[in-house]
Amino acid sequence: MNLKKYLTFTRAGIIEALQFRLSFVVMVAGNLLYLIVVYFLWKAIYASSGTDIVNGMTFTDTLIYLVLATALFNFMEMYTVWEMGRNIQSGKIVLDLLKPMEYRNLLFWSYSGGFVTQFLLTFLPTFIAVSIVTHGAIHLGINILYFIISVVMAIVINYNIDFLVGTVCLYTESIWGINIMKQVVVLLLSGATVPIAFFPDTLKTVVYWLPFQSIYNAPLSILLDAEAEPKAVFTTLGIQLVWCIVMTVLSKAFWKTSLRQITVNGG
Amino acid sequence: MKRKNLSFYFRIYCKILAQDLKSKMSYRADFIISTIGMICTNISGFISFWIMFRNFPSIDGWNYYEILFLYGFSLISLTPVQCFFDNNWSLRQNVYTGDFIKYCFRPINLFFYYQSEVFDVKGLGQLAFGIGTLVYAWIKLGLGFSVLMLLKLIIFLLTASLIMIALQNAAAATCFWIQNSFYVLDLAYRFRDYAKYPVTIFSKAFRFIFTFVMPIAFIAYYPSLVILRPDQIPILSWLSPVIGVLFFWISYKIWMYGATRYSGTGS
Repeated sequence: MNLKKYLTFTRAGIIEALQFRLSFVVMVAGNLLYLIVVYFLWKAIYASSGTDIVNGMTFTDTLIYLVLATALFNFMEMYTVWEMGRNIQSGKIVLDLLKPMEYRNLLFWSYSGGFVTQFLLTFLPTFIAVSIVTHGAIHLGINILYFIISVVMAIVINYNIDFLVGTVCLYTESIWGINIMKQVVVLLLSGATVPIAFFPDTLKTVVYWLPFQSIYNAPLSILLDAEAEPKAVFTTLGIQLVWCIVMTVLSKAFWKTSLRQITVNGG
Repeated sequence: MKRKNLSFYFRIYCKILAQDLKSKMSYRADFIISTIGMICTNISGFISFWIMFRNFPSIDGWNYYEILFLYGFSLISLTPVQCFFDNNWSLRQNVYTGDFIKYCFRPINLFFYYQSEVFDVKGLGQLAFGIGTLVYAWIKLGLGFSVLMLLKLIIFLLTASLIMIALQNAAAATCFWIQNSFYVLDLAYRFRDYAKYPVTIFSKAFRFIFTFVMPIAFIAYYPSLVILRPDQIPILSWLSPVIGVLFFWISYKIWMYGATRYSGTGS
């Protein structure tokens, strides 16, 4: 694999993102406000519950979990479904298919610049802010390394789910509906809106067997659990790896078979 | 020229609505999928709500059914913005590509014409969901029923809905200045999720912000106090219709001001 041709896309992406500086300011301000709402909401919830620890999570844990889940979401959301849907509707996809690069890779790498800018401008500041506000409640040690590995796998799983759903647009020509369904299902079942620890037991078991919890819950629980046994950490990472492989194979195969029956208007 | 009174605009609206529905129906699959997507969104919102309340019996002195009432109330009052003002989401594309200029040449109110072009049927599902939730909570709380109460409810729902419409108009109108208003719109959209919680959970400063600057507290909290806690209604609740109208008027002015600044793209 010639990495250089891919990195050109990354560079272009960074330059493109830096063009829209004002959007960035608005986004950061917006996130801040959003986080404030989350903070007060859960503070009130914990204050009314009467106990400090609910389902093994303290207020600080829940806060870090939810704040970083939001930060991760902003960082990982690539709007792949939108992009694919639009390209299919406008017919532009035909031009992309002709390019000497697999469409999956093309799409991924053209977004990769966004990862870099999003990471530096939203995720990192949020992370630092949270660890200061919570007085170092995030344990900084080997778990950071595991967290990074876990996030990389989460990106792969998330991208492949997106690509899989995006492929459905080839058949339905519906973007909004498909995208909203995906987003709702992923956010709820991955534990991004409410931590999975709060789920009722049956739902927890179901969710545990689905790929979604590997996207947000897995990296965040690795990060938060400072005294985790290596065995538990490696089980989580192992499950993620399995889902990486399964989702990649699935989305690749689905794309290949779907491509045969593509109908595009003009383009 | 004929004077353009309310009935004139009403007739025009019906005509445009019919055309819009016809064009929607030609994409039947998209229509059905979008509707399912909307239902999914509501169900998932309800599930996360239910999961939270499984763990915490009350928030800040509000019990399950009272919060459920707020939830239903907010769903209903957020329906008009979904149904009638959905075209705000396309505003930035229209402005960016230059298509917006076509609206400027019609001999009717620019704002009216632009918004009337799209009627979002999906919102009706949300309305049904909201009414169901509200009625259920109403019965469980044993609030009783009278025609006066119903009248109050309807008036307060209508005026509460103006708040979200105002927020969305203002957010969409930012694209006349900053081109890409998606982040601003998305931010405003995300805040509606927090409209369903009592504003008392916030600290004083933010209570002020959410009451007067970004008035999400008027979407559900203040107006529903009139029905929920009739013996201690704060003055702000009675003022909420006024505030709804006021904010709508301001947002309309901002929107129109932006539109007059629009100079086209030259194509």
